[in-house]
Amino acid sequence: MLDESKPLFIAVAEQIEDGILDGTYPEDTPVPSTNELAAFLRINPATAGKGLNRLADAGVLVKRRGVGMFVTVGAAELLRRRRRDDFARAYIVPLLREAAHLGIDPENSPR
Amino acid sequence: MTAIETRNLTKHFRDVAAIDDVSLSFAEGRVHGLLGRNGAGKTTLMKLLTGQIFATSGEMRVLGQSPLENPQVLAQTCFIQESQKYPDGFRPLDVLRIAEGLYPAWDQELARELIADFRLPEKRAIKKLSRGQLSAVGIILGLASRAPLTFFDEPYLGLDAVARRLFFDHLLADFADHPRTVILSTHHIDEVSNLLEHVVLLDEGRVAISEEAETLQNAAIEVSGRRDEVMAFTAGADVLHLQEIGSLATSTLHAEPGSVERARAAGLQVAPVSLQNYIVHRTTAAAAAPVA
Amino acid sequence: MRSRNVIDMHLVNRMQAFGWPLIAVAFALAIMLAVGAIVGSRGPEAQAEMYYGLQWNGAIFALLGPLIGYGFTSMGQYFPLALGLGLTRREFATGLSVVFLGNAVIYSVLITVGKTIEKATEGFGLSIRFFDVFYTSTGAPWQTLLQTFLLILTVLFLGAAITAAVLRFGQVFLWVAAAILALIGLGILSGVLLLDGFGRALLDVLTMGWGPWMVAIAVIGAVSAGAWLVLVRRTQVS
Repeated sequence: MLDESKPLFIAVAEQIEDGILDGTYPEDTPVPSTNELAAFLRINPATAGKGLNRLADAGVLVKRRGVGMFVTVGAAELLRRRRRDDFARAYIVPLLREAAHLGIDPENSPR
Repeated sequence: MTAIETRNLTKHFRDVAAIDDVSLSFAEGRVHGLLGRNGAGKTTLMKLLTGQIFATSGEMRVLGQSPLENPQVLAQTCFIQESQKYPDGFRPLDVLRIAEGLYPAWDQELARELIADFRLPEKRAIKKLSRGQLSAVGIILGLASRAPLTFFDEPYLGLDAVARRLFFDHLLADFADHPRTVILSTHHIDEVSNLLEHVVLLDEGRVAISEEAETLQNAAIEVSGRRDEVMAFTAGADVLHLQEIGSLATSTLHAEPGSVERARAAGLQVAPVSLQNYIVHRTTAAAAAPVA
Repeated sequence: MRSRNVIDMHLVNRMQAFGWPLIAVAFALAIMLAVGAIVGSRGPEAQAEMYYGLQWNGAIFALLGPLIGYGFTSMGQYFPLALGLGLTRREFATGLSVVFLGNAVIYSVLITVGKTIEKATEGFGLSIRFFDVFYTSTGAPWQTLLQTFLLILTVLFLGAAITAAVLRFGQVFLWVAAAILALIGLGILSGVLLLDGFGRALLDVLTMGWGPWMVAIAVIGAVSAGAWLVLVRRTQVS
């Protein structure tokens, strides 16, 4: 369920981010609480909390006292911009390397 | 706040040091894993910390005080022993009723819920229960006691996958609602690794590791690829394990900042090392290392 | 009071605490009544002879016997559970002492009442002696009450002390204790055989009268209780 190659709290944060990007958590609506997230993902509440706090620090979520964490307005756009920057590093570089292994010339890519 | 603090704690059984100069600290309100092979001293340590046995030397503070013959501390401490003996004729019902009188924070409603979930025959003599049902008695006691400090020694023994999942989910849910200090000793590391915040690994009575679980989860990486490339990459690195097959090799090594990126740049496959595998490597590596 | 839980623990198994001793005593009494009925049918002379002989009747041990095992069970089975549930050794010792006292009171009263009825009804109308025997004192009721109380309490503490010593020192204790007892027995035997006047002196000691005997039992009980209290505070549960 979670990406095992990363620290758990980062995987938690990224999963929430995915939810924001695909509209599961619309802006200005609450995300699951620490305990709900912990029970659902079967992880320690402290780890779940750390993931949520990471998003709060990044301005993606906002704490509302006594109610919980909400998706900030503009969060999806913020995430999209950041992920676009990561896209090349995460996908294009490995793609080019694999292409080189296979002897595929990027300039002359097959159909 | 620390829930448990030991200094140079040592326990000898005749001339064998079951616990050897152990200085540890367990923070309050977290889930700690107490790991190690059979005979590493996990149960002995827990018995010392709950005053079941006496230390040969050293000091310990449990919830700020010595646990020895200390009702204030022991009423806040619940120790679920894998080898707990029950008197003849006792039924789960009887044990739980007595425990209810001993633990101030006992939750009878939770106990009833757990009995139903684990399908524990509460009126059957404990001597006639299966190993898994016996484990369930301990689990129910340990969770329902809501003790600020709870030790689970091999709570999984004899439990099937469904019951193990039940224990995990109940522990997690109850821990979230009623935070407390939990010391969990188990060989099923993979099943609990996402629950642990701090891990202590004992090896032959000594502390091999006392570290944040998150750190350990990323402490090592597994790189694989062509043998010469792997060898070139791992030269000078702290290698935990090396496996070769033909011209290919897989190496488990301690990760340093940037090693994942460097390995990828060197054209190697990089995979994370689970806590369980890391612990296995650390234990066997220690066993294989020459005696200093 | 957490020690209360030790008492609760001992009351879990009501059959073991009260059921079996009472069933055993009822069964033994029933047999004695049957014997009494049979002998009674042979005439008053046989009955008088039986009445005399029955002062050594050991059927009452059907009741005292299970109590001997009680001390063993308490230390061997209840102590590890008490410790496992977070009771201190001191709390356990306090609770168990109350349990022992309660047992001694309940059963000594039971025997005394039985004896009073037995004497008042002349052996339940059958000239038998079950409660009014040597081991429970053939004297006045208060003597029976005191003697059985002391006897039961001593036996309970002795059993607990022995079990605590085994837990503390292992099997070695049993071997050493058996060896010492054998040596004492051998010493007495050789004294009787080899030394003039030793046998007579021994007989004098054994027939020293009811009072001194009560003191002797009380001393054994007190020593056992003391040894147990010291040992239990140092006992570990493996």
